[in-house]
Amino acid sequence: MTRPESSPHPPASSTNALRVNRSGAGRAGAHHGELIQGVFQDQRGRLHRGLVTLPLSHMSSLAIFRITDGQGVKVMPPEKTKAAKAASLTLRHLNEHNRGGLLTVESTIPVGHGYGSSTADVVATIRAVAYAFEMGLRPSVISRLAVEAEQASDAIAFEDQAVLFAQREGLVIEHFGDALPPIRVIGFKANDGQLVDTLALPPARYSSEEIQTFSMLRGLAARSIRFQDPRLLGQAATLSAKISQRHLAKAQFATALAIADQFDACGVQVAHSGSLIGIILDASAVRIADASRNIAEAATAAGFKDVVVQPIYSGGGAVEI
Amino acid sequence: MRFDADYFEALETPRMARLAENVVAAAFPLMKLMPARFILDRAEASGEIKRNAHIVETTSGTFGMAVALLAAARGYRLTLVTASSLMDPKYQARLQRLGAEVIALDDPRGDGNQTGRLDNLGSILHREPEAFWTRQYDSDGNWLAYARLADLFVRAMGQIDCLVGCIGTGGSLCGTGTFLRRVFPHLRIIGVDTHRSILFGQPLGKRVLRGLGNSVLPRNVRHELIDEIHWVGAYPAFHAAHRLFRQHGIFMGPTSGAAALVGQWVSKTSPDARIAVIMPDEGHRHADTVYSDIWLSTLPGWRTPASTTPTKISRIEPRSETAWTRFEWRRRRLEDVMRLQSTEG
Repeated sequence: MTRPESSPHPPASSTNALRVNRSGAGRAGAHHGELIQGVFQDQRGRLHRGLVTLPLSHMSSLAIFRITDGQGVKVMPPEKTKAAKAASLTLRHLNEHNRGGLLTVESTIPVGHGYGSSTADVVATIRAVAYAFEMGLRPSVISRLAVEAEQASDAIAFEDQAVLFAQREGLVIEHFGDALPPIRVIGFKANDGQLVDTLALPPARYSSEEIQTFSMLRGLAARSIRFQDPRLLGQAATLSAKISQRHLAKAQFATALAIADQFDACGVQVAHSGSLIGIILDASAVRIADASRNIAEAATAAGFKDVVVQPIYSGGGAVEI
Repeated sequence: MRFDADYFEALETPRMARLAENVVAAAFPLMKLMPARFILDRAEASGEIKRNAHIVETTSGTFGMAVALLAAARGYRLTLVTASSLMDPKYQARLQRLGAEVIALDDPRGDGNQTGRLDNLGSILHREPEAFWTRQYDSDGNWLAYARLADLFVRAMGQIDCLVGCIGTGGSLCGTGTFLRRVFPHLRIIGVDTHRSILFGQPLGKRVLRGLGNSVLPRNVRHELIDEIHWVGAYPAFHAAHRLFRQHGIFMGPTSGAAALVGQWVSKTSPDARIAVIMPDEGHRHADTVYSDIWLSTLPGWRTPASTTPTKISRIEPRSETAWTRFEWRRRRLEDVMRLQSTEG
């Protein structure tokens, strides 16, 4: 863990010690499912469920937390209960048990497809509460609090830094040491865009062969990030998606593979607990616009819903608040 | 209990040696630690093997050494059944130093007497039903263990187009190849065998090159994964091992020489391919034989120039120890290839 203690997001302003009515704002981005997901060994040989998130740059949750006198967190809209829980956990973490606050969460992220709307709300909230107290929390702390608030989380708090993240424990299994290679994703929804209740899904039970395959997938991810190799990352994502297909099948997955093949894309990724499918392109390739359009047209013609070219959050600094 | 995990993982890890611009070889000190450790770890996790258990296996070589190292460190009793023709006294003494009981059977035919060894092992298991047989020939654990090698290869090389390795139990080549082909479907898998090994349809006979090939057919040999098979005679393999030492400073056993020989040939014939080669063990065990001019000079025909390129054959047949042949297997089953062989005869 070499990330600095302070967050790249500075507190909105600095004021005196009387904090009532002070507020903080936090933002967190969506993702387009995962590049790889499975189970992975830690250094002591123990297995953990883990994933590498594919962060998006254009959709986000914005949380504003205003400190009130007295305990208790009130949240708007009231159904954002996980965000409220995250706010309480963050207060406890900051040793501010006696404080409460008013939390408002606004999000442009659609719910229930694997965009990580819930984690974005929770991470934005944790950041907002910390900023209200003029604190910055490091990504590992934010992630741990997020998992505590919502049971299973993703690695969105790490922003553009690629990590292998244990989504049910809030631990980093491996830091890959850089952002993802330059990619673009043509995203769409399978299963006619039906919603998936993420937490109602039982965790996948993987075979020995799948568990062994994941160790190679981890090596591929590490190599592709170290050498910024979009094609190798796409090949790893494709294999992870194929394994996911045995556990949470997406209709017309084979069609998506065939489209990727036809246009010589780097590979196919999925939301392992959602309906999203993405076809991965090398963002630095020539005629990327033509390839994007051709793939989008083919996906639409094949009957996939909501086909969009997704900007990927890989480098370029922090999300603006 | 698991204080040894990291240490044995380090001991089994190969060095990655670049033998040519497009060839990376995994040079193992003792490759068989990888499946042996995986098989024992799984059996411990599932409760199949208990504390102080008795482990048994039939082996002529390095798998026995790997299990012996683990058994000694983890407190298991170990019995290894081998053939007297296949294990020199020094190696046997090393195994015994680790506490292993070694049963060396006679081998009058010079084929390794694998059937006799399996009978002997069967009788031990009959007497002691609680004994744990590591079953390197047909245990899934053998080939599954090699996901770790696939991981190491992709970290070192990225995309891989061709995998070259020896076949004895089939674990290393078929295991590594299975995982790599999942992600690289075009991967060409080239097996290295030797004359008079039965694995790819040759008639059984005396083999001079030991440590690859077999006199029986393990279930872990999966013919339908193999694109091309090479039969390397003992002499080209010995020369290749000498060259590895002289040109690259890598002191490996003769089977590693055979794998490197085939890998380097592929690198010349397919210059655009990225080639991974598996080299299973070091040369120390062979210091008095393969690396001894006195011993080499006693070999019939040793002075005859050995093949430097493979002869492509369409009829599967044994050749002399100076010969190196290859055959396009094309991912077929053994019975399918053999049926065609008999009709074309």
